[in-house]
Amino acid sequence: MDRIVYAAAMSHVLYPDYYGENVGPHGRKMVEELIEVVRDMGRTLAAAAPDALVVVADDHLNVFSFDAVPALCVRVGRSVSRMVQDDAIEFDRALDGLPERYPVHEDLANAILEQGLQAGFDFAASWSAPLDHAFLSPVSTLYGNRPVPPLVPFWVNCFVAPQPTAQRCFAAGRHIARVVADGPWKVAVIATGGLSHFPELSLARVAQSDPVFDRRVVTLMEAGDHAALAALTAKELPTPDRTSCSTGWCSWAR
Amino acid sequence: MSRYDTNVILYRLKKDAAFRDRFRSDPSTALAGTDLTEEERQAFMRWDVLRLNELGGMLHLLLSIPELGGH
Repeated sequence: MDRIVYAAAMSHVLYPDYYGENVGPHGRKMVEELIEVVRDMGRTLAAAAPDALVVVADDHLNVFSFDAVPALCVRVGRSVSRMVQDDAIEFDRALDGLPERYPVHEDLANAILEQGLQAGFDFAASWSAPLDHAFLSPVSTLYGNRPVPPLVPFWVNCFVAPQPTAQRCFAAGRHIARVVADGPWKVAVIATGGLSHFPELSLARVAQSDPVFDRRVVTLMEAGDHAALAALTAKELPTPDRTSCSTGWCSWAR
Repeated sequence: MSRYDTNVILYRLKKDAAFRDRFRSDPSTALAGTDLTEEERQAFMRWDVLRLNELGGMLHLLLSIPELGGH
């Protein structure tokens, strides 16, 4: 039996140019300071020497298009590629210069998938989905030039209604924790997303935030109040941007 | 629920450089044969991103289509 040796949650747009262009110098400075915090987290993570790194994040409509949108999806297979986007703009440029492929921890990914069926989860499985900035911006910032351990990418649908509930995401996180506890691996888990920033996914309201809600979520997380987080309803989470943090973070359960 | 047809085109504009070039040079021809309402079609023709978003076009696609996207 082994264990989760590291767990964390963080933003996934760790790209100073984006904030500089769209928020201004103070935005650039804030994210540069955040990047230093994440690099420090990465030193702790690397010292834990995990056999695998589970990354729970959303798809920004980069991978699954609209033909089929999985609620919860495990990336299986031997390796996973970085998303390629010609003439990338905005946060997609954060992928520039990163390795083209990363190893997947095939045994852990398959265990999450296969044991999920026994546990009542019909996870989707993908052998080909690439990774966008939601996965690789945090991973590359955490690890820098250090080798990245085999990954298990895990997508949570945060943007295409109906999204999985906070309760379902929390249960999925608990499932991942049980798989790790029953397995032989040391595993690190990170979940990525943001506090409120894209209310109702409205272009007209981009960058409006809800600090009251944000403080409530952070307080609940600091208190480890999983029940309250998992009980957040669709009405309380009407804006998918909240979902992108809450469901991702609710998946972080051990 | 999201508008499938609008978002399929937005996804294609992001991922298919040749389609994106055709759309930029002649949006009417590029959209021929697509299953859009007239309101959606006109919003694409004007590249009215706010209206496309109101009609269900996904924010992240509208923000990140090369040469067309952005805040």
